[in-house]
Amino acid sequence: MITKTFLKETKELLRDGRVRISLIIVFILLSVAVWVSAQQYQNVNAQYSAAKTAEREVWDNQGEKNPHSAAHYGTYAFKPKYPLSLVDQGVDKYTGTSIFLEAHKRNEAQFSAAADQTGLARFGDLTPDFMLLFIIPLLIVLLGYNGFTKEREMGTLTLLKSQGISQWKWIWGKWMALFFPILLITAILFLVAGILLSNLQDFGVFKWESLFLLFAIYVVYYIIFINLVLLISIKTKKSGISLVASLCVWIIACLAAPKAASNFAENKYPYPTRQEFTANVLKDKKSGLDGHNPWNKEAKLLEEKVLKEYGVDSLSQLPFNYDAYRMQKGEEHQAKIYLKHYNHLKNQYEQQSDVYRDLALLSPYLPTRFLSMAIAQTDYATHWDFADAAEDYRIATQKFLNGNFAKNSEYGNWGYQADAETWKQLPDFDYTPPQLGAILKQNTSNLMVIGLWLLGSFGLLFFIPKNL
Amino acid sequence: MLSYNFKYELKLLLRSRWIQLLSLIVLLLFGFSAFNGKQKVEKRKNIIVKAQEELQESDAEMLKLLDSVQRGMEVSASRWTLPTSPMAVGNYHPRVASMEPQPMAFVSTGQADLFTHFVKPTATGDDFALNFTEMTSPVQLLFGSFDLAFVIVYLLPLLIIAFSYNVLSAEKESGALRLLAAQPISIPSWVMQKLGLRFFWMSVLAIAALILVFLIISIDILAQMNLVIGLLILVLGYMLFWFTLAFLVNLWVGSSAKNAVAMLGLWVLFVLLVPSVLNQLGNTLYPMPSRTLMVNEMREVKAEITKKQDEILDNYLRDHPEYAINDTSQKRSFWHRYMASQQLVKEELEPVVSSFENQLQKQQDWMNKFKWISPAITVQESFNHLAGTSSEDYENYRKQVMAFAKNWREYFVPLLYNNKEFTQKSYATLPKFQYSSASYQLVPVALTLYLISIALFGLGIFSSKRQKTKGILN
Repeated sequence: MITKTFLKETKELLRDGRVRISLIIVFILLSVAVWVSAQQYQNVNAQYSAAKTAEREVWDNQGEKNPHSAAHYGTYAFKPKYPLSLVDQGVDKYTGTSIFLEAHKRNEAQFSAAADQTGLARFGDLTPDFMLLFIIPLLIVLLGYNGFTKEREMGTLTLLKSQGISQWKWIWGKWMALFFPILLITAILFLVAGILLSNLQDFGVFKWESLFLLFAIYVVYYIIFINLVLLISIKTKKSGISLVASLCVWIIACLAAPKAASNFAENKYPYPTRQEFTANVLKDKKSGLDGHNPWNKEAKLLEEKVLKEYGVDSLSQLPFNYDAYRMQKGEEHQAKIYLKHYNHLKNQYEQQSDVYRDLALLSPYLPTRFLSMAIAQTDYATHWDFADAAEDYRIATQKFLNGNFAKNSEYGNWGYQADAETWKQLPDFDYTPPQLGAILKQNTSNLMVIGLWLLGSFGLLFFIPKNL
Repeated sequence: MLSYNFKYELKLLLRSRWIQLLSLIVLLLFGFSAFNGKQKVEKRKNIIVKAQEELQESDAEMLKLLDSVQRGMEVSASRWTLPTSPMAVGNYHPRVASMEPQPMAFVSTGQADLFTHFVKPTATGDDFALNFTEMTSPVQLLFGSFDLAFVIVYLLPLLIIAFSYNVLSAEKESGALRLLAAQPISIPSWVMQKLGLRFFWMSVLAIAALILVFLIISIDILAQMNLVIGLLILVLGYMLFWFTLAFLVNLWVGSSAKNAVAMLGLWVLFVLLVPSVLNQLGNTLYPMPSRTLMVNEMREVKAEITKKQDEILDNYLRDHPEYAINDTSQKRSFWHRYMASQQLVKEELEPVVSSFENQLQKQQDWMNKFKWISPAITVQESFNHLAGTSSEDYENYRKQVMAFAKNWREYFVPLLYNNKEFTQKSYATLPKFQYSSASYQLVPVALTLYLISIALFGLGIFSSKRQKTKGILN
């Protein structure tokens, strides 16, 4: 009976002109989106590797220079794009792509793509994630809104009742008929994406299991929508009303809830402005050790401590250049200040994430969005991870440079020039993003919420309707 | 007939509780979104006020310090931060170049969450280092803000769709159409009247709700009369567009469900698809040069120039003999060399920087050309302009800041090269920044919207004349 219902429904869908047209439109848009994203991905990565090599060359060929001058001269850390960004661009557009690493200062990632675009960009891009997250659920609404209401409207409900069909078998049949085309479209899209990605040169971190997991999450997302749309179709009497109601669910889940959530999150746990943040850091810096200012109170204390430790009575008797040593200490101190302030920022962001998670109970879109971005390594957490890695590298670089300065010169010798070969000894900045296991661990609550939605919507679909 | 129609339609709408439900929804949505917008504007205002206050405090301190130094008293500050040095003032006492919110800023967040509203350009800082983006969680930027513009552009059409998709088809389906056909009124004009009445009630509701919300969040409506009226005209124009579409769909398409699907299709097309496709096309046709590669270029130019700093200073002084002559001591410090080479860096990088601006301008032109395809884009853009939060506004602000940064730098350069000290007297002559907002013509945009609706409407009437022969009851 399930198969019969399934076959009949599928045939009906295929014969319906509107369905055919909308399927074709969705397919064309998806293909364009994938194609455009693939182009973009290749472009960005080519630029990334060009920039990385060029920057390293600039660094290596500084010539003879004081190590601290080199530290101020600094270097750049560039953020690569990961293969699965082909499927979900996530917040990539809104995060910077390069971080300037210099002495005394932790810089934010600069140059987000969104800042270089017109206001039109805020409507959204034609990317696979836009299609997957917004348009396919809408397609589900379109295909499924009259699944049950049409039987009532055409008068076939009475006929069906006389057939003695069990209600759940009937629902299953319809469910399968709605699920199958959606599964097909999604599967084709992911297969194409997988083939594209595995054929790209140096696809590095691309893994089929991540892609498969992403696929599974989207399928779950669609199942939730199918359940909700069919449930509405069962409970309403007219197709028009069923459509409007399903649409309301879609709007609340995909458009209204995320926006409202972002407002709640910002109000409850606001970020400081860039200027405020800088001012706070500066305030802390002033009260602490200043690597450049020997008359600073903290600096005097350090001096006494070091003299005592080495059992000498003047700084020039120390076996290293005390200026460089003090600078390194100052650097470490400042790194701590930055850590404190960035931790505050991270804390705010985590609290904000909790707000999103709470509101995810209103919208299956939210956990799906977060999971999808996380697996595609285009979410905010990955960006944090990158920024932290860049900061670690910055600290290590400062240590390397100050170490060289301290070892190879004596106190007061600011004219010291390090050898031109020195710069090549600094290791490359090498960043590996978090792996799938770690990502999933971080996102257990999102997984739970989406699981809850899955079970809950199935429960509603099979236990509530009794009054057909 | 019109008066009957009016009376019964109103009765029907009231008894089916449509009006009550709609008023509630509209009021809630408008209220919530306007409140959100207002909150953001308040935050923005507070930040600027705080920055100005801090500046005043630090200025007072600076003046005190100057006074002490000029009287030859001992001071506790580090030598290089003393405000007698012009470069110290230029770097450690920058002005606040702020962009105050416009009176209607709460209407649309626009790009306000992406960009910062004040910066402090310093004398030696280069213009690339000025970061105009705000520290916002990218998740927030991705989701956007629940503002009034969102409610009007995205949600209001959906309410209109729900309110009007079955005006004719419901009569057909309930069998009342046959009764109506016996009345002395043509069906198209009856549909028109019915929709016209709904448009009327919806407009009354929307205007009342907007005014009420403005009063609640204490917007000074009288002072902003022009802007408020502009906003209302725009909202009505957008609503008219959707009602006209509903009119066409009711005439051309059949059953309620089909109507609803058709209307939704149009909504998806105008609100979701056209903007994203246009955006993608704009980006593909006028791609932004790579920022990462720009960083490379900047680094190479700077590395090149740092190597030749002394030579550059000589050349600079040759070009500016006034600085070389006036100064008797001929004392040249780090700053002299730095400022001279900074000038050169700026000149060398000018083409790279302007290539970004040019591409952005091209994308903007592209959007302005094609925004008429979707009234949703038109209206959103107009809201952004009305609120002073559009991309152009921020571009305008950025340009003004750049000009100010140049003024600021140029104020100190003569002092530096003539080795003159900064004095208490000079304080009054420091350049000041005042943001002036660009004006925007709302009326032509709104008029075009009305024209589009009228044209569509004419199309409907024309086609229904031809359809008459077929008979509406079949």
